[in-house]
Amino acid sequence: MKGFMNRQAPYFFIAPTLLLLTLFSIVPIVVALVISFTDMDLRGLANWDRVSFIGFENYVEVLKDPVFLKAILNTLFYVAIGVPLVILFSLTIALLINLGTSRIFKAFRVVYYLPSVTNIVAVAVVWSYLYNPALGLFNYLLNSVGLPDVPWLTEPTIAKLSLILLAIWKAIGLNMIIFIAALQGIPKTYYEAAQLDGANTWQQVTSITIPMLRFAIFFVSITTMIGWLQFFEEPFVMTEGGPLDGTLSVALFIYQNGFKFNNFGYAAAGSFVLFVCIIAVTLVQLRLQKNESDMT
Amino acid sequence: MKKTFAMITTVALGAGLLAGCGANGNNTEGNTGAGNGGGKENEKVTLSVWGMGEEAKTLPKLAEQFTKENPNITINVQALPWNQGHEKLLTAIASKKGPDVIQMGTSWIPEFADAEALADLTPYVEKYPELNPDNFYEGAVAAGKAGDKYVSSPWYVETRVLYYRTDLLKEVGYEAAPKTWEELSDAAQKLAARGDGKYGISIDPKEQSLGFMFSRQNGAEWFTAEGQPNFSDPKFVEAVEYINSFYQNGSAPKDLGLDIIPAFKEGILPMFISGPWMIKLIQDQAPEIDGKWAMAVLPKKENNISLLGGSNLSIFEYSKNKDAAAKFIAFMSKPETQLQWMETTSSLPAATAAWEDDKLKNDVNYKVIGEQLNAAQPMPVITEWAQISESYVKHFEVIYRNNADVKKELESFNNDAIKLMK
Amino acid sequence: MRTTVAGKKGGARDREGNLTFQWISGILLTIGGIFFLLPFFWMVLSSFKPESEIVQIPPTFWPATFTTYNFSYLFENMNFGVYLKNTLIIVLFSFGGLMLNALAGFGFAKYDFKGRNGLFVLVLATMMIPSQVTMIPVYLILNSLGLTNTMTGIVLPGLVGAFAIFLFRQFMSTIPTELLEATRLDGASEYRIFLQIALPISKPILAVQAILTFIAGWNSFLWPLIIANDESLYTLSVGLSLLKGQYAANFGLQMAGATFMVAPVIVLFTYFQKHIIENFTISGLK
Repeated sequence: MKGFMNRQAPYFFIAPTLLLLTLFSIVPIVVALVISFTDMDLRGLANWDRVSFIGFENYVEVLKDPVFLKAILNTLFYVAIGVPLVILFSLTIALLINLGTSRIFKAFRVVYYLPSVTNIVAVAVVWSYLYNPALGLFNYLLNSVGLPDVPWLTEPTIAKLSLILLAIWKAIGLNMIIFIAALQGIPKTYYEAAQLDGANTWQQVTSITIPMLRFAIFFVSITTMIGWLQFFEEPFVMTEGGPLDGTLSVALFIYQNGFKFNNFGYAAAGSFVLFVCIIAVTLVQLRLQKNESDMT
Repeated sequence: MKKTFAMITTVALGAGLLAGCGANGNNTEGNTGAGNGGGKENEKVTLSVWGMGEEAKTLPKLAEQFTKENPNITINVQALPWNQGHEKLLTAIASKKGPDVIQMGTSWIPEFADAEALADLTPYVEKYPELNPDNFYEGAVAAGKAGDKYVSSPWYVETRVLYYRTDLLKEVGYEAAPKTWEELSDAAQKLAARGDGKYGISIDPKEQSLGFMFSRQNGAEWFTAEGQPNFSDPKFVEAVEYINSFYQNGSAPKDLGLDIIPAFKEGILPMFISGPWMIKLIQDQAPEIDGKWAMAVLPKKENNISLLGGSNLSIFEYSKNKDAAAKFIAFMSKPETQLQWMETTSSLPAATAAWEDDKLKNDVNYKVIGEQLNAAQPMPVITEWAQISESYVKHFEVIYRNNADVKKELESFNNDAIKLMK
Repeated sequence: MRTTVAGKKGGARDREGNLTFQWISGILLTIGGIFFLLPFFWMVLSSFKPESEIVQIPPTFWPATFTTYNFSYLFENMNFGVYLKNTLIIVLFSFGGLMLNALAGFGFAKYDFKGRNGLFVLVLATMMIPSQVTMIPVYLILNSLGLTNTMTGIVLPGLVGAFAIFLFRQFMSTIPTELLEATRLDGASEYRIFLQIALPISKPILAVQAILTFIAGWNSFLWPLIIANDESLYTLSVGLSLLKGQYAANFGLQMAGATFMVAPVIVLFTYFQKHIIENFTISGLK
């Protein structure tokens, strides 16, 4: 009986969650996959008789669409620069806060968490002021030390970097508290032992803290990667993909085609191209993790 | 082939859901005909009405009056946010479950009419004469017509006019607003010459309809006789060159990043083209310039036809109370109701008779709007329009940012439009 | 409480080095902190400004004209009691979802069963499709289950999520297996092991996930809007979004709304991080 329970227990534990996920995520994804092979639009949504299968046409079209290809390149740019920086900054800030002994360091947890709960409209308004070409704070500061204006949101490459800066600012809080929670789980005895061996702070961080945080770093890097490959909110509220599609991301492309123009089949095809990319990247990450240790 | 799609999707939705989907299909049968959805004359019905944003919050007051006149009909108003109303409508169409009466922004009508989600109002015009298209501004009626179907009855309207700073224009020699394209361009350049950081006019390059509006003023035909896009026509090119000249000679800013009202107040942007909602915003947010600004009908080339927008009311195709819904829309179309609505929400009546009222006739600002409404037309009521105008914005961005060759860029735009319409 | 790195046993030189380190990191964090706080303060202060001042050139930081108009307008024009009630119900239910996620995370972390890796990748896969693409299918499913216009229909689609499951799995996988075995040998059932060992050890991450769950429930917007056919099921976020006009941005109102929505989150966050994270000791693991 006991053994039976042991073997069945994990299934009982995951069953309710998997059931809900199947119903509200997996089945809808399968439906979207079916839709990606059709010419579904608003007319088709109203009357399914008007929908026809068109095979891989949406996929062929979307992969030929120069706007989509541009969106892919932009997204890779966002990921390549943004993901490492988010991990680096949130980990560093978490470590600094955790190493701090004064009371003020506790307040920093709240401070650095605030951007992730600040309303996106407020964020957009404030950052538009910061980036404003005529009156913005950033250009004002540059001018006051004798440097020329920077076209923060109006030059394609700089605009991408500006959005990355904003996204990092917003993303640090969440990852930071995950790291802080993970830091709590490192037994104090490890540090005490290291101190007895005469290790300094830096040595303790590199030889105890970082290795002990591997599982959290793994989590943050996978979720951040998945999140950034679907980079959406920042270009959506700040630039709508402009200038000249310079900040258009794949997720924004999908949104515009799906919701603005009702090309559901086309948008679904685009999102499965994205899906394949994300799952490939994630599987590589999982594999790397497995090779590195048997933590999973 | 088409049947297979429905089948596979239903299978994908899971066998247990089959019954549900089937039942939905059955529910809608029987109310597709226009006249027979109404039920008995005095049957008690509750109409569900979807309105947009804050204005929908004032709808219940009018609905109460309606219920007083028609005790058997109660109204349940549901307000939807402007930004996400579209998503809600999509789900309503997908499930064929939705409201009875629905507020339609004019730009939404083409796609929802094309999806046959809006009932034809023609059969009800006889019974409810308030719905007669002759009662409304011609442009507003045009916006509610899809092919030969009259799918949406005008409710309130807006149109774009020229706002300008009387004091600043006087300084550069304009006692009155510019009346022609040449004057507009000249005034803008003179205003921009006032100094660094000063401009003549604000033309929002992201506004999708402005280019089309100017080209129509230049006499451009958007479609050939065969219905093909005609956006590289010399008249269209000339109009876009005209708009582009404002950016290139510095009289319109490319990226100012300022809100229009403070810029108007500070005199940075002494002219702009916008709709009637700006009146109240200027009065509220820039009382300092009271008496120093005015409105005028748009400057003219071959004509000065402006854009017409606003909201219409439609009956949702899957409604079971179509007759009561038509009755409610008729009530909302009465000039008295529309005037009352204007007082609480500042939206302007679509019924021409309402404009005979003193409140509209004697107001100097509304008078301009009223005049412009006689020369105001909507964008074409075709499904692809949303995408075509978005494509225009992208091509125009290349033009004004890189000062690209207008003719070449518009040819490429025209090709995109042909692709979108095929 | 928290680990003091250079402990009492270190030499004077260490302590001095540590003090310098403390100062440098304190200064760095303060400079960064200002940058992180600025938009937040701007949001709060703007909510007390009249609209004309918000868009004024050049912008003011401190309100020149102080007004509570935005807030009073907010409360007068929202069906406040109803929206708050609905929002709290959703928050309550989503804490039930939190337990389901924790349970699943534990299942994936500490049991070796057939199909575990495959199922887990499947869970992760649900994060990889933009939610806009699946919105209509989800609605059709809820519709065929007869759940439109019900609180159940609003709550169900967001009840469980891959992010939370993954988070719990990662943290619970660090629980020493020997600890679970020992309890098992004492005759505890698997559920008791979860409740009495796994959950208490996972308190820090439970706190993190509780905050995230609260925020998600508190801000829930899309499903209440789409599922409700009646304003009596609207939440605070939906109510606030109605105040935005088609043409006018109404920044003041939006800022007031945002400030109002974020205040409880901050109170809760401060509370959680003070009482749960800090009081947590790892002694159980020694």
